[in-house]
Amino acid sequence: MIKIDNLTKTYTSKEGDIQALKGVSLYVGRGRIFGVIGQSGAGKSTLIRCINMLERPTSGTVTVDGKDMGALTGKELLRARQEISMIFQHFNLLASRTVFDNVAYPLEIQGLKKSAITERVLPLLELVGLHERARYYPSQLSGGQKQRVGIARALASRPKVLLCDEATSALDPQTTKSILALLKDINKKFDLTIVLITHEMIVIKEICDKVAVIENGRIVEEGGVLEVFTNPRTQTAREFIGTVISQHLPPFLSEIGLSPVPVDSGKLLVRLSFIGASAGQPILAGAIRAYNVDISIIYGNIDSIKDTPFGTLIAEVSGKSDDINSALAYFGRQNLRVEVLGYVP
Amino acid sequence: MSPEIIRLLWQSCLETFYMVTVSSLVSFALGMPLGVLLTITGKGHIKENPKVNQGVGAVINAIRSTPFIILMVAIVPFTRWVVGSSIGTTAAIVPLTVSATPFVARIVESSLKEVPHGVVEAALSMGSTPLEVIYKVLLPEALSGIILGLTLTVVSLIGYSAMAGVIGGGGLGDLAIRYGYQRFEEKVMIATVVILIFIVQLVQSSGDFLSRKTDKSRL
Ligand SMILES: Nc1ncnc2c1ncn2[C@@H]1O[C@H](COP(=O)(O)OP(=O)(O)OP(=O)(O)O)[C@@H](O)[C@H]1O
Ligand SMILES: [Mg+2]
Repeated sequence: MIKIDNLTKTYTSKEGDIQALKGVSLYVGRGRIFGVIGQSGAGKSTLIRCINMLERPTSGTVTVDGKDMGALTGKELLRARQEISMIFQHFNLLASRTVFDNVAYPLEIQGLKKSAITERVLPLLELVGLHERARYYPSQLSGGQKQRVGIARALASRPKVLLCDEATSALDPQTTKSILALLKDINKKFDLTIVLITHEMIVIKEICDKVAVIENGRIVEEGGVLEVFTNPRTQTAREFIGTVISQHLPPFLSEIGLSPVPVDSGKLLVRLSFIGASAGQPILAGAIRAYNVDISIIYGNIDSIKDTPFGTLIAEVSGKSDDINSALAYFGRQNLRVEVLGYVP
Repeated sequence: MSPEIIRLLWQSCLETFYMVTVSSLVSFALGMPLGVLLTITGKGHIKENPKVNQGVGAVINAIRSTPFIILMVAIVPFTRWVVGSSIGTTAAIVPLTVSATPFVARIVESSLKEVPHGVVEAALSMGSTPLEVIYKVLLPEALSGIILGLTLTVVSLIGYSAMAGVIGGGGLGDLAIRYGYQRFEEKVMIATVVILIFIVQLVQSSGDFLSRKTDKSRL
């Protein structure tokens, strides 16, 4: 649906050039929810604004639904933008228009008749749960309600793509969840392709299929959300994941000082990560029985991404060194990721 | 006060009303598009164009920095060309309009610049044309502020119209000077001042009311 090829963007100013994007390539399939996460200043907004040509790329191409966005003439671009809606961190509603008239705006500029507009706006307000607020002005709404208006307005033109620029960053966690649920809902209902940028990993974890990590104008890591979550390859990705799932050892463990070589006690500390089905199986019990080792769980957490459970356990394995190795090999065969942390002194 | 004076007061009121109304309306009509032009050609706006922006801006600043009384005399040939005469109430409307138009332009510009850029951006992202951005976004969003600015313009024009006596424009200010100052008729002086205060109050409070009515950002 969206293909971004070797996109660069350089801002020129008196103070010097800023390369906001340094060759970004991405592909977003139809009906997908694609997340781009990055720190402030990484180039997220620049990237998403290049998709609808609010920002002209310096080089590279953006293709949306087969159209080369950069090559469209004025009128064609306006038409193309009607199929690519956008929602914003600060909602950007028209303060002088009621909720109803805000949602009606994109239809007005498409030249729809009054009756046709009403026919489309009302169900949308129903969908976002604001039909009783149709006559309110934005200043009379909460942040979450404003974003719902933003979403209804974005959907009015029946777009194929929805771009979300930090759509939940100005909202509290509870409201964020409800807006994300709404986005997920419309993604399914309208087979809408969604690209969202954020600096909050919770957003990615909650609704995205795929995620790209952007850093300093480059995509440094990309993949399925589960894959990136369970097996991050870059430090940036690890840090973001750390914001929702603790990757660090619990403090009491880092304090005791683990030894990298075997010590007398023979207790080995391992981190076991598991994804999906294996989470439900009695693997630890199996290892204890089969290999004559003792396993005690020191610390653990379990989470789920898009209905797939995954988690980490930090466990102490003790026994004969051969037995321990066999047990670890067994974990590997059961699709657990095993990471040896060290020996307990 | 003699009936003669009352008649003069009434006539002056009508002259002031005539001068202020016509020059207000014409300067709104000319100043608004200029204000829009200044805004959209400004940096980072929908039709950024430094040359046009600075060119129009320079002309506007030149007019605004010329004292009204000098402007009035300086543009006499222009006034004659427009209304066929350089003295009289109608003739006074021309310099009043010329001096108010740049004022309106700047006031409209500063109101339009108050519209958050994100709102303009949202409109663009929905496929709005520049004209739609102007008529459906910028002007309605800035309406409340523009009304306040136009009110200020009218109030200033009432003040400036008092100087119209110089070119035989008549009006309340002229009456106050001719009778009150030159002939020491204090009562006339006081009456005109009271009437002027009353008119200014009326204009200001109507403007405030309308501005509040159209401001939906604080409900
Ligand atoms: N109009 C502009 N002119 C000059 N530099 C710009 C402009 N817009 C963005 N930049 C620069 O480009 C870089 C990327 O900015 P961008 O807004 O894309 O970051 P971001 O990832 O969206 O950050 P944030 O999370 O803070 O919104 C930054 O260094 C920024 O200063
Ligand atoms: Mg940003």
